[in-house]
Amino acid sequence: MTSTDTRGGPPQTGRRPEASRPARRRPRPPRSVIQRGSARLGWAFASPALLVVAAVMIFPIVFSVVMSLSNVNVTGNGFQLSGLTTHNYSILFGSPRYWHDLEFTATYTVVTVTIEMMLGTLVALVLERLTRARGWMMALLLMPWALITVVSAELWAYIYNGVYGMLEAGLNTVGVHGVDVLGTPLQASIAMGVADVWKTTPFVAIMVLAGLVMLPADVVEAARIDGASAWTIFWRVRLPLLRPVLAVAVMFRILQAFGIFDLPYVLTGGGPGTSTETLAVLGYKVLFNDLEFGPGAAVAASTALIVLVVCLLFLKVFRTQVAEQEG
Amino acid sequence: MRFPRHRTPALAAICAAAIALSAAGCSSSASTQAGPVATGAAAGTITWMANQFGPTSTDVRKTLIAAFEKAYPGITVKLEQAPSDEDTYRSELVTQISGGSSSFDVYNGDVVWPAQFAKADLALPLNSYFPSSYWDKFSKGMVPSLTYDGQIYAAPLFTDNAFLFYRKDLLAKAHLPVPTTWEQLQSEAETLQKDGLVKYGFAAQFNSYEGLTCDWTEFLADAGGSSVNAAGTRSTIDSTAAVKALDYMRGLITSGVAPAAITTFEEQQSESLFDSGQVAFLRNWTYAYADANTPANSKIVGDVGVTNLPTFAGQTGPGYSVTGGWNLYINPHSKNLPADVDFIKWMTGAQAQTIMAEQGGVLPTVASVLNNPRVQASNPAFPVAAKNKLNARPSFVAKYPQLSEAIYTNINGALSGSVSTSSALSSASSQISAALSSNGL
Repeated sequence: MTSTDTRGGPPQTGRRPEASRPARRRPRPPRSVIQRGSARLGWAFASPALLVVAAVMIFPIVFSVVMSLSNVNVTGNGFQLSGLTTHNYSILFGSPRYWHDLEFTATYTVVTVTIEMMLGTLVALVLERLTRARGWMMALLLMPWALITVVSAELWAYIYNGVYGMLEAGLNTVGVHGVDVLGTPLQASIAMGVADVWKTTPFVAIMVLAGLVMLPADVVEAARIDGASAWTIFWRVRLPLLRPVLAVAVMFRILQAFGIFDLPYVLTGGGPGTSTETLAVLGYKVLFNDLEFGPGAAVAASTALIVLVVCLLFLKVFRTQVAEQEG
Repeated sequence: MRFPRHRTPALAAICAAAIALSAAGCSSSASTQAGPVATGAAAGTITWMANQFGPTSTDVRKTLIAAFEKAYPGITVKLEQAPSDEDTYRSELVTQISGGSSSFDVYNGDVVWPAQFAKADLALPLNSYFPSSYWDKFSKGMVPSLTYDGQIYAAPLFTDNAFLFYRKDLLAKAHLPVPTTWEQLQSEAETLQKDGLVKYGFAAQFNSYEGLTCDWTEFLADAGGSSVNAAGTRSTIDSTAAVKALDYMRGLITSGVAPAAITTFEEQQSESLFDSGQVAFLRNWTYAYADANTPANSKIVGDVGVTNLPTFAGQTGPGYSVTGGWNLYINPHSKNLPADVDFIKWMTGAQAQTIMAEQGGVLPTVASVLNNPRVQASNPAFPVAAKNKLNARPSFVAKYPQLSEAIYTNINGALSGSVSTSSALSSASSQISAALSSNGL
């Protein structure tokens, strides 16, 4: 934990050349006795809240990690954990189903998030132009986002149904029969992606719209005076300025898409076969159908770790880009 | 966008505390195993967790409770509605019971659960609460399926068989006999479709779920195969019989006899398509007969025949039916065992079993009730059931859920055409082996 040295205390000039890595946070001046006293009081006041946070957030996370590294027995009186083992993970990594689900979840995340970001940005640009009906349009757009996923997944299941579904009926009128939309892996994946894009594009649009509205008008104005075309202004001025907002939107979307459970669970149940099974659905099935809590916890823990790493990498790349741009 | 750096030592301290807490919490829980003994006169209130069973138009559970409370005035039974989706229901039971909940006392559970629930201590072993003579009245073969490691974990509430339901009117119009082989069923279905009498020939449950394991077990047994060996130690699914069964099932779809969407059908979808008059033959459970003759949700009232499932040509008929049904289990945390025991004894007694058979349209588990001529006459499916050749799913294996999952996901994949018959079977086989050796997901 050598990286905590920039926090408090005298500047440690001897350890690292200052130029190579500028300190992110300036060292704080030494605090007085009163300040320290009030800080202690602050901790005392905050401690009940912190304990609650620990109980409801940190404990379950740590517990599932511990569980994934133990031999777990389910009993009528709760779980019994014993020993330290990597057996759960070796089961996981030796299972083709896990690798398939990981691949599917990753592909699904990349494809849907990319489409949602592009569509969402387009929608936001249109919304920004609207003056009178913007409120109404936003309300309309937010409806899919506000719908509970289980409900919207049921609606899509009704549309896609191979016998009485609306899509089937539509296809019948143009002479196409017997297309079972959810019947093949590719079609089922696309169908799931469409339902996801339909639901979450508004979220991206609202985020990007907020970013667009807050862009400094003078920069765009200056570009326009300099004779830049609308196209150039978008690509060279507005999009770069939008980057922080886009980054947040992408991160939220990655987190949600990678952990998606309700949509595949309701719409396809992971089928046909296990072709549309995401890691979250796999985790659920292993935990609650098979009662295999060790491997199930390993699915959960490894998924969380993957998302964490992806998000950290993403932030790192993003920060580096911003730093290059700024300086 | 900047994120404050974590205060690592503080976080580490909290984590360490949490780990210590969790370890402490786990070690203390083992010693509190409940072991109360049923004594004293039964009285008080118990909660029965049950999902709806029997035909959809009536709720036979309420009739049963009313009759029980009349017979046992000291005991009140509260009905708690269980989720209709079986997997959701199971996860609710697991969460509640392993969390120590005593909010329900007796619960309905699938016939394939005993081994899994016994292994996880989610059901109370019943041997010390029921005399050994109590178990003699049930139909043959039932009690062994409830036994795990020498202990009986549930009492059989009702049993279920699969049947072939067919449209009497259509067969009469086309002058066709009731099919006794699968090959005959397919050719008759094609004839009926060609003549424009019906849209689809056959419906069953081919979605990727437990129901497909049932259907598959039947087709496979008809072809002379099995998914695992009799001892439940080895996969036998990759066989020529399995190829024959799977090719036939897939052929139903490619020939248009079954709708392409059959790979997403569960009981309800297949049944409602049949009841809407669009299918000639249906494989389904006992209650489908009562449903098809309920005018509110059926267009084919009076046109439905019921018979044993066909088998493949060259085999002695009839075809196999798997055994389904539901049991009564006791929550190990129940606070009123004497009342639980009385309730279960009454529910498996002649009066309750007769109510379930006559009003609930399900097969009674008590042999004497099933053989009663009045009960036999109440439902045309019951005499047919007496002639059924039964085949149990290998649920005596504690890893049955994984085993079944290996079956239905791969078979469903092959039925939807996304993988070939041979690769689906070999992949099912390797997953079954992994499950049996406790090395698979």
